[in-house]
Amino acid sequence: MPGAESAEKHVVVIGGGPAGLTAGYELTKFDLRPVVLEKEGLVGGLARTETYKGFHFDMGGHRFFTKVEEVNKMWQDVLGGEFLRRPRLSRIYYNGKFFFYPLKPLNALLGLGFFQAVLIVLSFIWWQLFPYRREETFEQWVTNRFGRRLFLTFFKTYTEKVWGISCSELKAEWAAQRIKDLSLKTALRSMFIKPKKTIKTLIEEFDYPRRGPGMMWSAVKSEIEQRRGVVRLNSDVVRINRTDMHVDSVVVRRDGVEEVISGTDFISSMPVTHFIKALDPPAPSAVRSAAARLTYRDFLTVVLIIDKPHIFDDNWVYIHDPGVHVGRIQNFKNWSPDMVPDPSKTSLGLEYFCTEGDKVWTMADADLIEMGRREIDRIGLARYEDVVDGCVVRVQKAYPVYDSDYREFLGVVRQFVDGLENCQTIGRNGLHRYNNQDHAMLTGMLAVRNLVLGEHHDLWSVNTDQEYHEEIRERVTEHDLEEVLEGTLTEVFLKLDRVAMGLSLGLTSGALLFLATLILVLKGGGHVGPTLGLLGQYFPGYTVTGAGSMLGLLYGFVTGFVVGWCFAFLRNATVFLYMAVVHRRAELQALRRLLEYF
Amino acid sequence: MANEKQALERMVLTRALRLNATVQGIVTGLVAGLGVFVATNWLVLKGGPTIGPHLGLLGQYFIGYRVSFVGSLIGFVYAFVVGFLVGYTVGRIYNWAVDRREHKRLGHA
Repeated sequence: MPGAESAEKHVVVIGGGPAGLTAGYELTKFDLRPVVLEKEGLVGGLARTETYKGFHFDMGGHRFFTKVEEVNKMWQDVLGGEFLRRPRLSRIYYNGKFFFYPLKPLNALLGLGFFQAVLIVLSFIWWQLFPYRREETFEQWVTNRFGRRLFLTFFKTYTEKVWGISCSELKAEWAAQRIKDLSLKTALRSMFIKPKKTIKTLIEEFDYPRRGPGMMWSAVKSEIEQRRGVVRLNSDVVRINRTDMHVDSVVVRRDGVEEVISGTDFISSMPVTHFIKALDPPAPSAVRSAAARLTYRDFLTVVLIIDKPHIFDDNWVYIHDPGVHVGRIQNFKNWSPDMVPDPSKTSLGLEYFCTEGDKVWTMADADLIEMGRREIDRIGLARYEDVVDGCVVRVQKAYPVYDSDYREFLGVVRQFVDGLENCQTIGRNGLHRYNNQDHAMLTGMLAVRNLVLGEHHDLWSVNTDQEYHEEIRERVTEHDLEEVLEGTLTEVFLKLDRVAMGLSLGLTSGALLFLATLILVLKGGGHVGPTLGLLGQYFPGYTVTGAGSMLGLLYGFVTGFVVGWCFAFLRNATVFLYMAVVHRRAELQALRRLLEYF
Repeated sequence: MANEKQALERMVLTRALRLNATVQGIVTGLVAGLGVFVATNWLVLKGGPTIGPHLGLLGQYFIGYRVSFVGSLIGFVYAFVVGFLVGYTVGRIYNWAVDRREHKRLGHA
C-alpha cells in the first residue's frame, strides 16, 4: 500500500476512455485523488455508448471478453449484475448469403456453389504450386496462402474498405505482423495441446452490459467521483507544459476558457501524435516529424432505425459486396435487447471506414442516412421503406494504421516518451497500438503500478507479446504444465546429428560383427560359421576367421555408418517437413480470423 | 520475449537431439527380445519335420537357446540383454559424438 509519498502525488490522467478511466479507478484504490480530463461530453472514448431517442449505440461493438484476470475482476466489481451473457454470431454477408466467420471450408464452398467451389479449390492448388516469388503486397501474401479466388471473394473488398487503399498497395508486412507471434512453439502447441474449453466458450459467447460499454464507463466515472477523484468532461488538453523531461502541468480548454492544471505525475491516453504536438516547449523536430507520420483510420456509424422486430441473428456482419461502401453492420438489439427502447423496432449501425476530412467523413448526415438506406436495401438486409429514422456518429482515430514505416516512427516517439520522468502514455492511441478494450485497460492498470508501486512494466509490450498477459492470467500450475509440455515437444523436434548417428551405429555394428565372427572362430569345429560366412556375398573378402573378424569390423562400421547417417538424414527431413506443415496449418488457422483484426 | 521465441526456433534448427541411452537400450532390447520370441514361436506353431534349422543357429551365441517355446523365452532374455547393450551403446556413443562435435563447433564460433 502507498506510503506518505503516494499521498502527496497529484496525478492527472488525460483521456476518459477505458485506459484513462481504469488508471483513474486504480489510483483511487491507493487513496489518491486523480483528475481525469475527457475531451468529449461523454466518457468511454472509443468504447462509449451513444444515444438517440432512447436507442443506444456501441461504436464498433465491444465484447467484454478477456483472458486478463484483473480486467475481468474490475468489470465484475463495477458492473457485475448488469452484464448479460450473449451468444456470439458474426458472419460474412456476400451475394445475399451468410458465410460463417471465421471461415468454415465446407460452409464457404457450399455457399458459393459447386462451380465456384471447384474454381476456388483449383485456384488454391495453382497458387500453392506456382506462388508469387516475392511477397511484397498484402494481395500477394494472401493469394499465396489461399489462392486468388478466395482472396478476391473474402479478403480484397473488406480489407480495401477498412484501409481505404488497394490490397496491391497495402504492404505484405501488415498481414505478416498480424500473425508474427505464430512462432514454431505456438504452432506445435496448437497441434498437440487442445485449447481450454473455457476459452472456447468465452469466444462463442461474451458478457455485455445491458446498455452497452458506455454503461461500464459511466459507472467507473461514478466510482472515481465517489472516492473523491474528479472526472472533467469537455476538457480538451491543448498544451502540455514541461521543463526538460519533466511535465509540470497541462492546459485545458473548456467552453473556450483555458485553465492550467498542475500535477506531480501524468498518465496520458490521448493520441500520442497529439501528445507530442501539445508539448511546450516543443519536442525535438525529429520526434515531431516522426509523430506526424503516424496515421489513423477513422469511421462513422450511420444508425438506421428499422420498423421490424427482427432482421438477422448476428451481432454484426461483414459486408463484402464491392457495390456498397458499408463495411460492417452492427445489430445492436442482438448485443442487448435493452439497446432498443421499442421491441417492435431494430437499430442497425452501418459502419463506414473513412479518413477524417475525406468525402465520406464530410458528407452531410442526411446524405449519409440516405446512402445507408439505399445500401441496406440493395444488399437485401432490410427494405428502404422500413427505415423510419436515423442518425450519424463519427469516430475519430479508431484504428492506428500499421503502414510499412510506422515501426520506425513509433520507435522514435517511444524513445522520447520513455524519457519523460513523470509521464506515461497508455491505451490504444496513447501507445499507437492496436489494443482491444481489455488490453487498453491493462495498460492503465500497469501504469498505475509503475507510478505508485515503482514497478517496471513495459506498457508498449502489452498485447504485442501474447505471453505477457497470459503470464498474468494463468494459474501457475497450468502455466508450468504447458511449459513442460512445450519444452518436451521442442526436445522431440530437435534434429539428429547425422555424423554422430553414423558413428554410433557404425561402431556398434562393427563391434557386433567382430564379436560374432570371433566367437565362432574361438568355438572352432569342422566347418566354422557357414551361415555367417554368407556375408562374404556382400562384403568381399570376409570369412569367418581371425583376419575376417577384423575385416568384418571395418565392413560393419562402414555399413552401420551409412545406415545411421541416412536414417538421421531422412528422420530430420521428415521432422522438418512435418513442422513446415504444422506451421502452415496454424498460419492458415490464424489467417481465417484475419478480419477480426480490423 | 520475442528474442526468446527466436532463440527457441534457432535452437530447434541448430541444436542436435540427445538420446536417452537407457531408454534407447530398453526399447532396442524389447524389440530384439520380442523379435526372437515371436520368430521362434512362429516356427514352433508352423511345426514340420525339422523346426527352424537356421534360427536355431542363434544357439551358437545364446547358450541354451533352441527353437521351442521354452527356447523362445530364453531367446527373449538373451535378445533383450544384447539389444539393451546395443541400444545403450549406440545412445552413449551418439551423445558422446554430438558433444564432441558441438564443443568443437562452439569452440570455433
